[in-house]
Amino acid sequence: MTMNRTIETDSQEAFIEEIEKVQDVLPKRIDANSKNVEKGLAKLVLTLVELIRKLLEKQAMRRIEGGSLSEEEIEGIGETLMKLENKMKELKEIFGLKDEELNLNLGPLGDLM
Amino acid sequence: MKVYAYGIINSNPEGIVLPIPFKEGTNSGMDEPLSGLGEASVYNIPYRDIAVIVSELSDEAKEKTDTYILEHERIVERLMESFTVLPMRFLTVFNTKEDLLGMAELYYEDFKDNLARLYNKVEFGMKVIWPADTIKQRIVDVYHKPEGDGLASYSQSHKTKHNVSISTESPAKTFVKEKFQEHIIEKEFQEEANRCIQVVDDYFNRIACEKKLKRLQTESLLLNASYLVDKDRQNEFKQAFEQLKNAPSDLKFLFSGPWPCYNFINLTKKPSSVDYFNTEDMLNRLLAQQGFAQERNSV
Amino acid sequence: MDRQIKTLQDKNSYLDLRKQERVTLLEILDRALDKGVVISGDIVISVADVDLVYLGLKILLSSVETMERLRGAPMAGAQEEPT
Repeated sequence: MTMNRTIETDSQEAFIEEIEKVQDVLPKRIDANSKNVEKGLAKLVLTLVELIRKLLEKQAMRRIEGGSLSEEEIEGIGETLMKLENKMKELKEIFGLKDEELNLNLGPLGDLM
Repeated sequence: MKVYAYGIINSNPEGIVLPIPFKEGTNSGMDEPLSGLGEASVYNIPYRDIAVIVSELSDEAKEKTDTYILEHERIVERLMESFTVLPMRFLTVFNTKEDLLGMAELYYEDFKDNLARLYNKVEFGMKVIWPADTIKQRIVDVYHKPEGDGLASYSQSHKTKHNVSISTESPAKTFVKEKFQEHIIEKEFQEEANRCIQVVDDYFNRIACEKKLKRLQTESLLLNASYLVDKDRQNEFKQAFEQLKNAPSDLKFLFSGPWPCYNFINLTKKPSSVDYFNTEDMLNRLLAQQGFAQERNSV
Repeated sequence: MDRQIKTLQDKNSYLDLRKQERVTLLEILDRALDKGVVISGDIVISVADVDLVYLGLKILLSSVETMERLRGAPMAGAQEEPT
């Protein structure tokens, strides 16, 4: 009468660790007082900026891979990407945000980044 | 009275055509009564030729619903023994019976389609952990050449037209080189993951009817796969896992099943809210354009 | 196999059992929490996605206790024999 459902693994701990990361069981509720609201807004804005920055970076890498860029162009891209990354580091410090915090959980779509 | 829904079944037992669906309040034709969340009796609410399996949710029980996932699963699996059942997501509660019937009407075609498609089938789960750090290190060792320009050697080995000269170094160039290295390593890592997943999937591909593969949910969790398997081929499927398990590899496996077909419900109806639909669609397209889309569903 | 543990004679196998239960729970959560027939909208008063994630933690904490109470009675899904 009982279902013959099996769950078989030789590495319980390893799977517990990984699956819990995915299920992300930490509460996501945000406490809405004014300090947190500010931080919450900064987080949202910076998350989107990070997304764009990463997209641009990836795009740049693809172009370099494609071999269509001159040395000067690579230099130019490098400068810009460097400045962007440093600026983001600054902003993260100012708002006391860590990399892991700059992500959005989109429900069925998973995480933004 | 609020009703908690466990799943959807055909109210005519498979293979036998009966003109009258189960009477409401009966125990759905099962031999013994089932009790559900908060000890409430499980019964069915029929709609046309399907039925929603429910139990009533008292206010006290509602407070504790978060502890009930095991009960929920127990009931769904008990139903699975006797019927093809479309399992409801945990904590699906309706304010009134009328709301529930409204839902049944809205999704009727979807439910019928899914019940037919999933007839006599079960789901198996396959999770794989791979040594991500070792793999990455191996890739890094190949591409990171301390004496030369990693970029140039990559170009050579992949025969691209690109040739970065190191005639004039600059912080920007160094930055780009490092980023590019990361990019190439990541790319190779992804490709290695795909190769590995392909090998694992090949064990099950020909036995399963459908599959859903989630790749690299974390760096180490290489694969989270769900396979839809005909009940009659269960043992064949389990044997395939035995073969995979015994094949020499540095992979770790978590094999589970049979489960109700949670991962293979296809609903064509979307909630009426326009915002919900557009945002998801838009984001999917944006991410796909930039190559960020993960293969959440695979053919 | 009698899974009822009355004394902690064999601590290792007890801990293994807890791990096994945890894995079982995670596997169930992986499916029932956001898969299956997912109905959203006004007619359903199931909690929002965010709350479900939050509930995940509570479920983990309280369901392990529930599992222990239920042990002895046949649970949905037999426990795997130790390999």
